[in-house]
Amino acid sequence: MQPQVARGVTDVATSTTGSRSPAKARIRRLPSRSWSYIITSWLGLVPFLLFCLLFELLPAVVIIEGSFTDSNTGVATLNNYQRLFSQASNLHAFQTSVSISLVTALLGAAFGFLAALGVYNLRTGWWRNFLIGFSSIAANFAGVPLAFAFIATLGVTGFVTVAIHDWLHISLYDLGFSVYTFWGLVLVYTYFQLPLMILVTVPALSALRPEWKEAATNLGASSFTYWWRVALPILLPSLIAAAMLLFANAFGAYATAFALAQGNINLVPILIGFVVAGNVDIDTGLGNALAVGMIVVLLVALTLYTAMLRRVNVWQGK
Amino acid sequence: MATASRVLQPSQGKSVPVRRSFGLDKLFLLLVILYLIVPLGATLAFGLSGANGIGFSTYQQIFSDPNFSATLLLSLGLAFASTILAIVLVTPTAYWVQLRLPRARPLLDFLSLVPFAVPAIVLSLGLVQVYGSSNSLVNVLSLGLVPLLSNPPFNIVNTPPLLACSYVIIALPFVYRPIDNSLRAINTAVLTEAAYSLGSGWWRTFLTVILPNIWPGVISAALLTFSTVMGEFTLASLFGIFTFPIYLNTVGQNEPHEAASLAILSFIFTLICVLGIIFFVRRGAGGARREDQIEIAAVK
Repeated sequence: MQPQVARGVTDVATSTTGSRSPAKARIRRLPSRSWSYIITSWLGLVPFLLFCLLFELLPAVVIIEGSFTDSNTGVATLNNYQRLFSQASNLHAFQTSVSISLVTALLGAAFGFLAALGVYNLRTGWWRNFLIGFSSIAANFAGVPLAFAFIATLGVTGFVTVAIHDWLHISLYDLGFSVYTFWGLVLVYTYFQLPLMILVTVPALSALRPEWKEAATNLGASSFTYWWRVALPILLPSLIAAAMLLFANAFGAYATAFALAQGNINLVPILIGFVVAGNVDIDTGLGNALAVGMIVVLLVALTLYTAMLRRVNVWQGK
Repeated sequence: MATASRVLQPSQGKSVPVRRSFGLDKLFLLLVILYLIVPLGATLAFGLSGANGIGFSTYQQIFSDPNFSATLLLSLGLAFASTILAIVLVTPTAYWVQLRLPRARPLLDFLSLVPFAVPAIVLSLGLVQVYGSSNSLVNVLSLGLVPLLSNPPFNIVNTPPLLACSYVIIALPFVYRPIDNSLRAINTAVLTEAAYSLGSGWWRTFLTVILPNIWPGVISAALLTFSTVMGEFTLASLFGIFTFPIYLNTVGQNEPHEAASLAILSFIFTLICVLGIIFFVRRGAGGARREDQIEIAAVK
């Protein structure tokens, strides 16, 4: 008995000394074993958690702390938020950032949904896979290269600008269009929003069962009635979730806007970029307050996104 | 009559999509594809038509510029370092959580979602403050690691190693998701028990049994990280490190034709990475493809 007990729980459980003593031994020993088990289990997570602490959580903590601190004296203050709300340029930056993200998210969601419908209705699998592959490439083609691609296309001497001028004798820039302004940036952002919407929507469309269409048709529904009364209500949570994803995607974008206008469009990320680069007009405290504002807006979008995704999962019985 | 014909349609099975096949959706699909292709074609043409006629002269200029190869090498090094670090950090952790600590899963899910709420620009502002200035709260919260990393023996402030570490954080959502999905698709517990009962240790089980089974997820995570780091501009520019996207931005200020050609080169690079993912993921078990695709494009 003595050596068996010393060798541990599993040996005791398999010993032939009766059915009661192993059970007792297990009850007595499990807590101590499971404590060491739990500790070693958590120890395995330490490298990853430390890494996240150092490079992910601490920056966020410092920003939140810094937004409530005066950057010169180090005293706790609400002054940063007061300045955020009292200076017109900051509020204007938030307004521009939110409206550019909303406009491109809605444009991307509307046209992307219709295009995804087209992809979904394609009957040749080869074309479908090709278009989905192309969409993932286009969705990843962003930042500085995308900005220069649009300058080469629609800039003052851009290929399309010149072509329209030569063939149709219309000068876009005389009509007031410019790729370096708000609406130019909308065009550029839409470029990566559309393929992202297609990527997100095609799987959601596969959740529509053919039986529903057949049942609706049997009951005398036209194609329009089916889409308006059956398919769209089912798809609505997916569509809202996708639009929120697109919104967050555009709201945090910095590189594209910076490379396009070199900081001439007043967006929140551009303002924060000035802070990091050491611009004297905005101090770190105000920069932190702006960053917290961005985090809050993004959290609202992400909360809506997860809530909608949960509804999708409930409906699809996952 | 109209009702009767409508009722008849389901019996013809596939006739419903056929009727729709030249509808509004196809028209919009065509328009969207045009919208995606026209800038690419225009950029290619713009890059080829340099100051002295049409030709590959801009490409010759680019390849002979020493800054081009220097920044490309730096970016490639950063991309390899971040990819390896991300995979080495996340894969064993995800397996460990799946096997030993399922209750820590919400924590990992949370940590992999934080980069969505804290975009690169905000992260850079935070990192500059954490590693640039001495802050007693940070020193305590980091268990003394931040002062250690910010002072001479291991100074990482505004150096490529810090950049690589922050790239791992940016890439976390699309590293963790595919790997976690692949791990869920296989029966980790049974495979591990079988390996253990045959006398294999934890690392050997992980490297020779689990890893080959989740290879598609790992490859897709690696290629997404690689492609993200190659194109990342925000953090590099704010840390003042001269990577390839910074070079592209500097060139673009003076030489629009060369910038267009460089943009095409970047596109070809993205193309190779995404084709690699499609190739590897399609060969392996699909898993939950949907989440992969959602995460495929998050860093702008």
